[in-house]
Amino acid sequence: MGVFVFLPLVLPLTAWPVARLAEQHLHPRTATRLLTGVAAVMALCSTVCLALAMVVGTAQLPGNPLPDGWSDPEVRAAVPYDEVAGQAAIPALCAVVTACARELWRHGRVRRRAHRALAGLPGTSVAVLPDAVPYAYALPGGRRDRVVVTTALLACLEPAERRALFAHERAHLAARHHRFLLTVRLAALANPFLRPLRTAVSYTAERWADEAAAGAVGSRRTVATAIGKAALVSRGTPAATLAGLAAPGPVPRRVAALLGPAPAVRRRPPVFTSVGLAAWGAAVGTAVSVMSSANSAVTMFLVLKAATPL
Amino acid sequence: MADHPRPRRRGQGELEALVLSALRTADGPATAGWVQEHLGGDLAYTTVITILTRLLDKGAVTRERAGRSFVWTPAADQAGLAARKMRKVLDAESDREAVLASFVTGLEPDDERLLRALLGHTPADGDEED
Repeated sequence: MGVFVFLPLVLPLTAWPVARLAEQHLHPRTATRLLTGVAAVMALCSTVCLALAMVVGTAQLPGNPLPDGWSDPEVRAAVPYDEVAGQAAIPALCAVVTACARELWRHGRVRRRAHRALAGLPGTSVAVLPDAVPYAYALPGGRRDRVVVTTALLACLEPAERRALFAHERAHLAARHHRFLLTVRLAALANPFLRPLRTAVSYTAERWADEAAAGAVGSRRTVATAIGKAALVSRGTPAATLAGLAAPGPVPRRVAALLGPAPAVRRRPPVFTSVGLAAWGAAVGTAVSVMSSANSAVTMFLVLKAATPL
Repeated sequence: MADHPRPRRRGQGELEALVLSALRTADGPATAGWVQEHLGGDLAYTTVITILTRLLDKGAVTRERAGRSFVWTPAADQAGLAARKMRKVLDAESDREAVLASFVTGLEPDDERLLRALLGHTPADGDEED
């Protein structure tokens, strides 16, 4: 299988152009689905490759529980630079598995705790909390999905803007955005080259909810002012920072996008535009990633089978 | 009781209101014993429990198990209590956007200027929709 076994580790680079272009040129729904799909497949392939290299690396360790035949030269020849690559794959895969498990656990914990905090309230779909700190978010799962909003945030919005806020959060819940967000976060942990996709999806998911809210309240400007007012009133909220983004931040970009024309809904981007080429590049990268990891997995299976004494 | 003038028999609603108002003066969840003490020992412990249970059925109070007994909270205070608990959950998460898709994220100083410009310099009523 040669160097192909390592290809899926670097192929996420082919998705960088589309991660950069999709937020401006694709409908946010299309962009979210496309980028999440690409990230999930590439993360899976890259993890498979790490696992294959790890098997070879582990088989060389003294006292390993794997069959003796697995450290034969034929098996080691299947992975180029087997000494270094095999040994390096062991901590790498451990780190990936640990980080993903921690992320999943944390996700579950925050959702459980948030639901528990609301347990004493009547089971309405909107939970209004009397709090001087303005915030609002969509809380999926539990007995039912809920929108959590504080009185401080509601107080600064007009009735139409409140409707926009609720429509935005309900759109998050209806389209199960938390699954997209969790998927890209796990993918970014599995392969750091997928981090730009995570950043892009957390933005396009917000844009998706913004557009859905604009459709629901019938006014793009109302949604834009709601976001703007909410952002201005919650500035300086210590916990609500998403640092490390290049200026301008996501909120002004969302407002600017809403003040502009509605994005066109297209099945797929036209081929001969920058975003079309970028999307196709990512698609080809994903396909190559799938093929080379599948090829490597099958090859490794056959090699190991041949090396296992029966 | 013998040397006391027998207290006037009070209606159920009155007793419930008494217990509820006593509970509201508590700083957080209170035990039935605390409520009884706060009412001046006028009512038997079992009576307080009965009234609290009746209030629970009506949804006017909630209870939580604390050790072997229950602590009681007036329901009107539930929203405030939930808000405090939620703040605790959110403050404990250094990166809560990771889990909860919140309405807005933080603003950099440049963002704020940009945002004010965006919101200020657009025609207020030029709302054309698709």
